[in-house]
Amino acid sequence: MTRSSRLRITGGAVYDPANGIDGEVRDVCMEEGRIVEQLPTDAPRLDAAGMIVMPGGVDIHSHIAGSSVNHGRRLLPEEHTADPAPAPALADAASPARSGTGGTIPSTFTTGYRYAGLGYTTAMEAAVAPLAARHAHAELDDTPIIDAGCFVLMGNDDYLFRQIAAGEAARARDYAAWLLGAAGGYAIKIVNPGGVERWKSGGRNVTGLDDPVGSSAVTPRKILETLTDAAHALRLPHPVHIHCNNLGQAGNASTTLETMRALAGRRAHFTHLQFHSYGGERGKSWKSAAREVIEYVNGHPEVSVDVGQVMFGPATTLTADAPVEYLLYASTGRKWLNVDIELETGCGIVPYAYKEKAAVAALQWAIGLELFLLASDPWRVVLSTDHPNGGSFLSYPQLIRLLMDRAARDEQLKRVNARALAGSALADGLAREYTLTEIAIVTRAGPARLLGLKTKGHLGVGADADVTIYATAADRAAMFAAPHYVIKGGTVVVEEGQLRRAPAGRRLHVRPEHAASVTRDLKRYFDSYACVSFENYPVGPLQDAAVGAA
Amino acid sequence: MSGADRVLEHATCLGCGCACDDIAIVVRRNRIVEARRACALGVAWFGDGVVPQETRSAGRDRSLAAALADAAKLLADGRRPLVYLTADLTCETQREAVAIADRLRALLDSPASETAASSILAAQRRGRAGATLGEIRQRADLLVFWAVDPAERYPRYSSRYAVEPAGLQAPNGRRSRTVIAVDIGTARGPADVDARVSIAPEQEVDALGVMRATVLGHAVAEREPMRQAGDLARQMMQARYVALVHDAEPSRPPSDPARAEALIALAQALNGPTRGALSTLRAGGNRSGAEAVMTWQTGFPFAVDFARGYPRYRPHAGAAACLARGEIDAALVLGSPASVPGRVATALGGVACVAIGPRASEAGFKPAVAVDTGVPGIHETGMALRMDDVPLPLRGSLEGPPAAIDVVRALAQRLPRP
Repeated sequence: MTRSSRLRITGGAVYDPANGIDGEVRDVCMEEGRIVEQLPTDAPRLDAAGMIVMPGGVDIHSHIAGSSVNHGRRLLPEEHTADPAPAPALADAASPARSGTGGTIPSTFTTGYRYAGLGYTTAMEAAVAPLAARHAHAELDDTPIIDAGCFVLMGNDDYLFRQIAAGEAARARDYAAWLLGAAGGYAIKIVNPGGVERWKSGGRNVTGLDDPVGSSAVTPRKILETLTDAAHALRLPHPVHIHCNNLGQAGNASTTLETMRALAGRRAHFTHLQFHSYGGERGKSWKSAAREVIEYVNGHPEVSVDVGQVMFGPATTLTADAPVEYLLYASTGRKWLNVDIELETGCGIVPYAYKEKAAVAALQWAIGLELFLLASDPWRVVLSTDHPNGGSFLSYPQLIRLLMDRAARDEQLKRVNARALAGSALADGLAREYTLTEIAIVTRAGPARLLGLKTKGHLGVGADADVTIYATAADRAAMFAAPHYVIKGGTVVVEEGQLRRAPAGRRLHVRPEHAASVTRDLKRYFDSYACVSFENYPVGPLQDAAVGAA
Repeated sequence: MSGADRVLEHATCLGCGCACDDIAIVVRRNRIVEARRACALGVAWFGDGVVPQETRSAGRDRSLAAALADAAKLLADGRRPLVYLTADLTCETQREAVAIADRLRALLDSPASETAASSILAAQRRGRAGATLGEIRQRADLLVFWAVDPAERYPRYSSRYAVEPAGLQAPNGRRSRTVIAVDIGTARGPADVDARVSIAPEQEVDALGVMRATVLGHAVAEREPMRQAGDLARQMMQARYVALVHDAEPSRPPSDPARAEALIALAQALNGPTRGALSTLRAGGNRSGAEAVMTWQTGFPFAVDFARGYPRYRPHAGAAACLARGEIDAALVLGSPASVPGRVATALGGVACVAIGPRASEAGFKPAVAVDTGVPGIHETGMALRMDDVPLPLRGSLEGPPAAIDVVRALAQRLPRP
């Protein structure tokens, strides 16, 4: 049954919101790794009676592979020691199972196994410096099962800044296209535009959208506009993916809203929105501005977000937003890693823990939930913890329970430090409970659609045969933590809750066209400034074909 | 046509951790006749590209298949095997090697245990403030060479990354920068510098503490020699971007093992009043790649023990310690045997060994099975990491013995399934 290319899942309650299926008991048929309309009656069957059938999970923003992630792994030997991961007992002898370690940043094989164990079949590595893209792809090659793509960091790129300063919008667009191909990337990522460059050049950070970065011709606003327009002009499947300025600062909601307004009318995705939804005043007071921020999101269909929920427990803050990490180090005295990355970006890492007893952590937790619960369109508000920044992806099941079960939420609310929660909608009482359909949207259908992954996140004919089957349980955390079956590309990888197969995943990447003239100009630039050869910079052809533009 | 020279541009040299990737290799009749832009170390590393192509088992020539069968049996028979990753391996080969160690439930280690361990461990305890080499070139206006003259073991560091080249914020190259040598006893910085500070070895760590305290704004009573250190710290605070450069590889006389952590602490502290990065010099042969691969596949950068069926970190009980205790009864040594640290190489002489790598057949520890392979970056393509962890492609320009990746994969297939 398990290795056939044909399989009929019978008797399950199917949640396929992209195709309007809302708990209907119906068959799902697959053949050769794709969903098909029908199968002969003698095709192998998987009995899902009494179970819930959803497309495989899609994580729109996670830090799982690459040079920066690996610096984080190396920094946490004590976490790895505390969370050994012996090799799973796989049925498939073709690729031997691998042991590893866990913690907030697991080793690569363990990462793939654990995502699959949760019923996730696609994940996007959210921040890759193009200089180190080769390393990210090598790690993803060692991350089994899940299909994966890379978001390529461009928001502090020196060559890009030169084009902006010179008013060369077309050249900037060509450069973005070239860079995506050179890095084998999927989308354009912006982190604290201009702020990381300021950190490296002695200005510490930016605070406003119109702060000059090197010259007045380059500002965060101009960086955002240039790259947003580039993503649009290149018809990329996913719009520009933005980590706003002033992450983590009290009062930063005004920056977030100003950024959204600057790009109004143009598609843009704002990531880990929770970290950018703070009211109050910098250096003085903290409160929630979630209501204001989500109301803007609700009213602007061109905007999509992922929440970046904080979950109590250990986390590792790991970001290209290096100046933020310096501040976290300076205020906590924890371990701190910083790497300035030549001509492109930065990296900062501080291991952390969110405690219920800490007023600010409790506020962050509340803000994330407010964003979820006040969102009017689940198709544009994606579930994430910005793994591992807000918490491990392994906490997604508990988060799902908090969204679906008001009583569980209120019980936790009673335990947390409420000092900063005055005025928070959560403290005022939010009754909403997510339905299974809404969960299916925020964990599968929505992110797949926002990523432009036409064969993911749904179970219509032609979709990839990525299917997760849950045993129904009232405890939604327990239910989502241990799917009974997980099918990836038509292969049953999890059977009766056990990981049994670990086929390689595919790389999702784009290769947009660009004018040849940009490469000539880049070669001159590399000869003048770079410390790697232009010819050695691109990662070269990837094994999987590029995804077509939307 | 056979007489015409071929030129292969943009080759990456693994002679040291600089991993210069601007080398042009001139090949004539399958020999390297020139390595343009390479330093003396690089020229020596490339050599003429001619390497032995032997496959031997029990002292006799063997076919590859037979030698690998012997090797697989030797390793499978071991109760406590060691997999040792030394220099001159691609990351791809390193990945296969970790898989073998996992399968054999072996101890997995590299020369890092004997060389850079104190730096690696200090960075795990504290983190570090660092930068890629190109960022140092772009930003640093003050370079402090701490007990190291890179000219000796990292000859192009100064010309390619730090002292001489123009950068975004150092448009006049050397003239945009102040260069200071800190001499710790006989471990001296470069000759041509703007100023020197001398510190006795026994006072080094205290001096670094004084410097850190100064940078943090604590009042520190300073008498000579600490006043010099305090002055240097004040000078660093006035710079726009400080690059503090040190060598993590062993030196003679050996450096204070507390140096690494003290330097890390100072570099981190500098990021309050100004910006600073600690640049850690590392040897070549893609040693940084081995640490990265081990970290991503196991969670730990060296001294990984799979005996219990999952990776455990044993930084104080690595290959040398276990060999010395007579624990190891079978070893797989991958890479250039000449790069195995002496202590380990001597002990390997008493253990049944398989050696796979460049010049394996010439290994001093006389492996039971030896398979000569090509050299990454000369015969074999793949990925390697520069000393600052920037990944680079390796190009193959010559025909030679089998690629290590192929030999290692073929060996893996012959090992018993777990």
